[in-house]
Amino acid sequence: MLVLTRRTGESIVIGNDVVVTVLEVRHDQVRIGIDAPRNVQVHREEIFAQVMQENTAAVASAADLANPLLRRPAAPPAGGVPPRKGPRLQPPSPPRPDRAQATPVSPPPEPEPEPGAPPQT
Amino acid sequence: MNAGAAGDTATTDTAERDVLYFSDGVPGFPRSRQFTLVGMSPDSPFQVLQSLDEPDVSLVVTVPWLFFPDYDFELSELEQVELGITTVEETVVFSPVTLDAEQQRIYLNLLGPIVINSTTRQGRQVVLVDTDLPVRAAVELG
Repeated sequence: MLVLTRRTGESIVIGNDVVVTVLEVRHDQVRIGIDAPRNVQVHREEIFAQVMQENTAAVASAADLANPLLRRPAAPPAGGVPPRKGPRLQPPSPPRPDRAQATPVSPPPEPEPEPGAPPQT
Repeated sequence: MNAGAAGDTATTDTAERDVLYFSDGVPGFPRSRQFTLVGMSPDSPFQVLQSLDEPDVSLVVTVPWLFFPDYDFELSELEQVELGITTVEETVVFSPVTLDAEQQRIYLNLLGPIVINSTTRQGRQVVLVDTDLPVRAAVELG
């Protein structure tokens, strides 16, 4: 493991576009800021571990498929059948200017035909 | 449910159209990349997400809104891209279920929903960030 010493306000850069900054140190807590592109997943390690642990428990539960609790029909929710639901979809982010392809700021203007020019045939 | 045979019996038994592709596996079971959904009794709210790569890996799942009508989360742009999701209509969500038979109770994992693109059959277990949703939401069945 690479070990670095940093002071408050100092950063480390990981790869080309992940910046981790020590924001505050107080007692045994460190506040950390992470600036990363949206396609980099950042998780608190213990949250990820919880989901993993819960999956293991869910697999163990599947060994008990004959359990009557899993065999009973679904109780209709209060107020009738709920409408079909899904997640909210995060709106797309604007392209990051520091990473955009080298595109001209404005497209080259279309050459306009001169008003009096004869139509091309 | 369990074919009772070792090896890749499950794979050969499952029509290709029923395969769900989890390119990253699921947390805890990274080698399980292909799954299929197996129904239980017709009126049961539960289904089984059966790994085709590891026959011992199957998770009980359910539609979270059957138990938590107000369940709400945002699917990040990253996950949408990974799954090729463009509309809510093609998005199918399940919650993993754990069973506590002694307490006559089940738990839904609302923090780590399983999200499937019904068009491409790509799936991922999404670990939500910046949320207070519980990893074990209790439902009393007793």
